[in-house]
Amino acid sequence: MSFIHLHVSTAFSAHYGVSWPDDLAQAAAADGADALGCTDRDGLYGTVKHLKACMAAGIEPIVGVDLAVLEPASDDGGPGGGGHGSGGGHGSAGYGRQALAVNGRVVVLAHGGIKGVGYRALCRLISDAHANASTHTPVGITLEQLVARSLDPQTLAPVLTVLVGPSSDVGQAMAGRKYLTPRRNFQRWHARMPAGTLAAEIVSHLSAPGETLSTAHAVRMLKLAREYGVPAVLTNAVRYCEVDGAATADVLDSARTLTPLTALSGPESRLQPNGQGWLKTSAQMIALGREIMHAAGYGGAELAQLLGSTQELADRCRMDPVTDMGWKQPVVPEASVLGIDQDPLVELTQRAEAGIERRFPGISGRAEQVMRDRLLHELGIIDRLGFSSYFLTVAEVSRMITEMGVRAAARGSGASSLVNYLIDISQVDPLRHDLIFERFLSQDRATLPDIDIDVESAQRHNVYHRIFDRFGAERVTLMSMQNGYRARGAVRDAGLALGMDEEDVGAIAKQLWRFSARNFREAMAEKPELREFAQRVEQGQQNRQSQYGPGIPQTGGNQQLDLLVDLTERLDRLPRHISMHPCGVILGDKSLLDRSPVQPSGLGLPMSQFDKHDMDPMGMLKLDVLGVRMQSAMAYAIREVVRIHPSKTEVVAAGRHQLNSQGEGPAYVAEDGHIDLNAVPLDDEATFELIRSTYTLGCFQIESPGQRELIGKMAPREFNDLIIDISLFRPGPMKSNMVKPFLENRHGFAPEVYPHPALKPALQETHGVTVFHEQVLRTFDVMTGCGLARADEFRRALGNEVAEGKVEDYFRRQARKKQFSLDVIDQVWETLKAFGSFGFCKAHGAAFAVPTYQSAWLKAHHPEAFLAGLWEHDPGMYPRRLLVAEARRMGIPILPLDINHSTGEYRVEEVNGKLGIRMSLAGIYGLSGTELKRIVAHQPYDSLADLRTRAKVGRSTMKRLAQLGAFDALHLTSKGETGSTASRSDLIAHLHSLPVRSANRRWEPIEGQLHLPLGDLELNNLKDELPEPSAAEKVRTELDLLALDVSDHLMSSYRPLLQRLGVTTADKLLRLRNNSEVLVAGIRVATQTPPMRGGRRVVFISIDDGTGCVDATFFHEAQEKSGPLLFGTRMLLIRGLTRRTGPRGISLQALEAWDLSQTETLPLPVGAAAGQLQAQQA
Amino acid sequence: MALFSESVEILCSPAAVPLQMTWHGQDYAIEAEPLRWYERRAWWVEETRAERGSGTSLVDHEIWRVQARLKGQGELLTFDLTRHLASGRWRLLRLHDGVQVRSA
Repeated sequence: MSFIHLHVSTAFSAHYGVSWPDDLAQAAAADGADALGCTDRDGLYGTVKHLKACMAAGIEPIVGVDLAVLEPASDDGGPGGGGHGSGGGHGSAGYGRQALAVNGRVVVLAHGGIKGVGYRALCRLISDAHANASTHTPVGITLEQLVARSLDPQTLAPVLTVLVGPSSDVGQAMAGRKYLTPRRNFQRWHARMPAGTLAAEIVSHLSAPGETLSTAHAVRMLKLAREYGVPAVLTNAVRYCEVDGAATADVLDSARTLTPLTALSGPESRLQPNGQGWLKTSAQMIALGREIMHAAGYGGAELAQLLGSTQELADRCRMDPVTDMGWKQPVVPEASVLGIDQDPLVELTQRAEAGIERRFPGISGRAEQVMRDRLLHELGIIDRLGFSSYFLTVAEVSRMITEMGVRAAARGSGASSLVNYLIDISQVDPLRHDLIFERFLSQDRATLPDIDIDVESAQRHNVYHRIFDRFGAERVTLMSMQNGYRARGAVRDAGLALGMDEEDVGAIAKQLWRFSARNFREAMAEKPELREFAQRVEQGQQNRQSQYGPGIPQTGGNQQLDLLVDLTERLDRLPRHISMHPCGVILGDKSLLDRSPVQPSGLGLPMSQFDKHDMDPMGMLKLDVLGVRMQSAMAYAIREVVRIHPSKTEVVAAGRHQLNSQGEGPAYVAEDGHIDLNAVPLDDEATFELIRSTYTLGCFQIESPGQRELIGKMAPREFNDLIIDISLFRPGPMKSNMVKPFLENRHGFAPEVYPHPALKPALQETHGVTVFHEQVLRTFDVMTGCGLARADEFRRALGNEVAEGKVEDYFRRQARKKQFSLDVIDQVWETLKAFGSFGFCKAHGAAFAVPTYQSAWLKAHHPEAFLAGLWEHDPGMYPRRLLVAEARRMGIPILPLDINHSTGEYRVEEVNGKLGIRMSLAGIYGLSGTELKRIVAHQPYDSLADLRTRAKVGRSTMKRLAQLGAFDALHLTSKGETGSTASRSDLIAHLHSLPVRSANRRWEPIEGQLHLPLGDLELNNLKDELPEPSAAEKVRTELDLLALDVSDHLMSSYRPLLQRLGVTTADKLLRLRNNSEVLVAGIRVATQTPPMRGGRRVVFISIDDGTGCVDATFFHEAQEKSGPLLFGTRMLLIRGLTRRTGPRGISLQALEAWDLSQTETLPLPVGAAAGQLQAQQA
Repeated sequence: MALFSESVEILCSPAAVPLQMTWHGQDYAIEAEPLRWYERRAWWVEETRAERGSGTSLVDHEIWRVQARLKGQGELLTFDLTRHLASGRWRLLRLHDGVQVRSA
């Protein structure tokens, strides 16, 4: 007989379970079990993965949860204390909603094979448990709720079984040798739970006699069960698949409780008593049962009974994934909710028809035929899959968002669909860009397709709320995501467990950069930035070995470092917590909450316990509504354009937009000056000129150093070039070196080569190089005649060891039949195979290219408004200060903070006939939102006293505003009137000297005085004592208080030092010959480690020196030389060789780097004393 | 009660139950039904490595409480023994005063 484990926590019990569902299911099946339970703590976090794993292992899933039981704070000093303790009688939470405290934990299993009634009760029970939680109450369930959910409300048949075991109030009460309490507690469970819903859980971890999880306790539980005639089942309360996992479980206990292991152990140990909680084999479990029976004085009959009732309960709880849990059955909102009273397909067809006129005005002839054929084809597939309602649902959401006046753009393979284009879900014409519907949806693939909608990030939460309102709270929930340990978090928690110094561990964590914690030890051997750490580990090993030698002093904790590395590797990838997914919204019908437990999210909207991997198996329709800051930035820019130029004529003049023959501006600018960005034609020459210049900082997708280099080489001329550019800049193409042949062919340096003339139509747009998924599909279709739907299945099989072989066989056989030569077949297959799973879907590229083009268009025509939008919404990969530097480079005035002109936003302002951008008050450190609102509400101010009186600004804010020069204009007026020569420093000193409180009164004028044209008495009377702050001081203040260098570039103060070093500035690099050796210096603005050919890591570091960006590439040797400087240093000096990347592009191949702030280490020319330079620099 | 940490030799039955103990060159016969349990150890102090997948438990300490007589005829003594799981080596942990009542 095989044993079935009913109580198993997977790794998805965050900070508790150790093993992955796959490993558990495989182990259970290998041992001969035909079913396995999954009972994660507080939710169904691992359940769908468990289902999948069980199906793969050929066993049946059992589904449940491990939940805390909540009780009102009892008066016998029980959970939560209360009553007559030291806390006193007036319990703070005792009134109103009663605070609940945990009184043990139980396992709840859903009954299966009953058409989902058990699963539904389980989902609802878990949602109840999370709804109970509040600041005073942890997640858990009350006995009343358990009772209520355990029966089918219709038939009153049992649908759940509660296992009362060692963690329950019964088991816990055994610890204190209280003989009556366990019995009384068990009696209560027996009395309250309906018949057929209760079982006693017998667990022994063979701990010391009398301790928790000891055989003695198991015996007592068994005897209680027999006394009350409650079935007893044997489990092992599993936390790990194998013996080895016990140590990991200890570390997780430490991380969960934020307590070092040493503090957790000891007499009041809160760790597991020992390491016996693994998935024991049937033989081991039966032996364990025998041992318990022996200790209880029972024999074989009682053992058979225990194992029998365990089997019986397992049988009752076998889940049918399909009939119980809705496995792979798509559920979409009811037609009535969408406001449709006819067949959804008819509705969809009508709406698509209606879109033709709008999207293809005046289409006719052959073009119309092609379009209509495509539409019919798509509708046919949608009909066969029954997905009409899905499209209508997405269209409804899309319409709703647009109606809110929020910018939205579809993303992903949805752009491949003509239907999506016609019903306004997508903005890309799939016919024009040759996109294949089958890449998005085909009859061979019955999973709900993904349609992603990008919206303005600032509006995302509003959009979510609107979706909840529109579809009803019972049909919508947010999707969650699992956050697993990555290297840095893992090393921190491993350090915590070992009780290491937090600062020391933090310093180690900082050096961990983009590798999985699982390979920590491997990384130590390879990565230069870990060299120092690896040496310390080795030193620790040596010290250990020589410990018995004569008096070797201990060096701070290095002995533990070996363990630190091992524990870090153990934690790798284990889930830490779930959080709201950044964009996933689940839409369903009114049964949604019967199919997914929900819990509160940070947003106040319910969040499903399922993540993106669970959507398709559970038939859930997920919509990605992603907040994109660039969309917010662009929306902001358009509003700024209208504000500054409130008419079509002005906008057209300011943006130098094309006039038609009648001298009218383009149609995409409305009479009131509003620009319809989506209507801007995709062939604007000024935009492509900007892109080719590679000054694309701030432009969507093409601002990274690598992209700027690629753009410089490629020189895009049309929209399709942008699509190709974005698709090429992916790990796959970069790794397989597709870029070089593509560029050579494009520029005509090398002849285009096609394996066969028949493939030319498919590959022409990329000059014979396979870049897109769509091209792979066409290649398969051309060579084998398989059709595009099957071709997409083949594409998916590429890179999969098993399936790829079959695809190859088919490909070779069919291509032979179609008379392709063996050479051609070999060559094409090699390409397809190499293409593997990477490459890029052209539809994705096309969807991405739209905001890329739009942002470049705005930068080309309305740069001030665009940059203001970027500063306001901070969308890119770079710090905001670099975009300020970009404005400086472009000659756009950066208007300083001014108490009368600055608002809570970065605004475009016309000063002396030139557009500039005014600094926002919102960025000032320590300025509260309410203070800001008061300042803006009462602008303008004619004196400091006026500001104090009406905006009620406190002393420290007054001082900060003065430091940042926000009073300079007022001060200047006063100086002009009085001839005062006081400086900004005098003003700051004055404000500083005022008492904190009485300041208001002292300077408060008598009623009415304000209206007299006396000017600002306070400013007028300032004494001229201090010199004006130096430019460097001003910049430092701005960096401290704004994190921006406004008045001048941060690097300016380093000029003398840099001159002495002989540093070349970014703007001069382009004039140098290829391969010149130079020194450059600047502030780090970006660090990237993109995947590279040959798998060797390359580090890109971009620095900004005030004249532009320098992108430096560190190959292996330069990384070795630079060591820890690579990731930790802010101001860098880099020696390198120039590398010309194109007519407009130049980058640096780094040879070595220094920390610019460590003057004594810099390679100064002979004779220059470092000390002198430092003095100059200050 | 006396505390030790001394190496002892133990002869086990095929079912891995201790039968005979050799301590200081003397043989002790172990009475039937010794008690066995597992205790945790402070592995993070005692070990220098904890690599994943080592196959044995870092956490467990196997403890046996046995009652034995010198040469099978002396006074009945209660010993706590421990078996190191990785090496299989036995150590004597405690010698209890007088006969222990076995508690369950």
